[in-house]
Amino acid sequence: MRRLWIVLPAGLLAGSLFGADMDIAAAKKEEQRECVACHGLRFIHSQRLSKTAWGKELDKMAGWGAQMKDRELLLEYLSSEYSDAKPVPQDPLSSDGSKQK
Amino acid sequence: MSAASAQEPAIPGKSPMILHNDRPEDLEMPPPYFDQWITPNDKFFVRQHIPRPEVKAESFRLAVNGLVAKQLELKIEDLRKLPQHKIVATLECTGNGRGFFRPRVPGIQWARGAIGNAEWSGPRISEILKLAGAKMDAAFLESDGADVGVARTPDFIRSLPMKKALDPATLLALDMNGQPIPQIHGFPTRLIVPGWDGTSWMKWVIRLTVAAEANKGFFMNPAYRYPKFARPPGSPPVPAELEVIEGMLVKSAITRPSEDDKVGMGPLAIGGYAWAGEQKIMRVEVSLDGGAKWKDAVLTPQNLNYAWRLWKLNWTPPKPGYYTILSRATDSAGNVQPIVAQWNPSGYLYNAIDRVGITVEKSA
Repeated sequence: MRRLWIVLPAGLLAGSLFGADMDIAAAKKEEQRECVACHGLRFIHSQRLSKTAWGKELDKMAGWGAQMKDRELLLEYLSSEYSDAKPVPQDPLSSDGSKQK
Repeated sequence: MSAASAQEPAIPGKSPMILHNDRPEDLEMPPPYFDQWITPNDKFFVRQHIPRPEVKAESFRLAVNGLVAKQLELKIEDLRKLPQHKIVATLECTGNGRGFFRPRVPGIQWARGAIGNAEWSGPRISEILKLAGAKMDAAFLESDGADVGVARTPDFIRSLPMKKALDPATLLALDMNGQPIPQIHGFPTRLIVPGWDGTSWMKWVIRLTVAAEANKGFFMNPAYRYPKFARPPGSPPVPAELEVIEGMLVKSAITRPSEDDKVGMGPLAIGGYAWAGEQKIMRVEVSLDGGAKWKDAVLTPQNLNYAWRLWKLNWTPPKPGYYTILSRATDSAGNVQPIVAQWNPSGYLYNAIDRVGITVEKSA
């Protein structure tokens, strides 16, 4: 199982985060299980949000029927991988479907 | 902008588009397509909240009910028998430009391309309501599309003030640019609410209900509301201070060149679009020196309420270096684009003066 160690610049190391580890494979599995029923992951991964904002999104989705087995893990994963401090991805172009019906 | 990749999905009926979401599809128009006043259907942006429905022409019925003398169930043929009206109108997603707000807000991170301009045709809403003997002084017209929420996702239902619904420019379009509306854009029926935010332009319309009160569902409240009073960027929403968005603000955007482009010495075509909701665009100015001096851009000739104007300015850089290009629009009511767009928790109505930085390199 792959584990992700959150690495922060020395100046930013906060006690609660120092050395925090997260089971990223389990987080991704939870994300797959919970989120893709309603929408693609691409939409999630294009967001760059603070932990507070990610928490609000999870609450909104829970209200709409998402049943999270491990909300804390999902929140930790989203707010570290897709935090507002990370660079924004460039969304790709779709392939040409103009001739398809 | 990245190149089209064979690894990415092809969306039927669509040229390569910026792919923000593939299920349901949320597609942004890439900058190179902003070269035609009428946006072709295959290049028009797409916003979907919930997966789109498969509406069949044969089984389609439009219910007209609520405060009406006679409830109706109309087929496509019935709607085609009514007088057909045409209008060219710009459609912009309420959240176009959301990706420019700081701090960032959740939602599709649109840049400039959740907007397009098309010719729509179909009967007027007022004529459909007349057929049903609707109470014309009722306050609202509620519309529902054939799409339904997944799990407990709310259904997408919207209410439009009756005054706007009865405006002669408000249509139930059957055609988009002379073709039956493509499925992804709302086949067979789409509400056309010229000058108003894309959220009002209901797709796959299967029900029109004349009502005394506005719908109270999620997509009327709290979604698609804008703060009555601005609060500092990053502030949480104050539900009591949120108002339904009605209409769009004056705006221009630069679609060429693109951010961080490197160009050689020599003539450079700068261009983009401008529109102003229910107003007309009267002027677009461009600055090539960060806003110290401004020059008037040349606008496309069609000067209509509800429709955008494309603009261009040919410029020859005087010397190599980094240049900040700005664009600023003025509408027929005298509104001018602000330097800073009002931050709001959902990232709606972004309309700041646009800004693109390029480097002019010494010619080889």
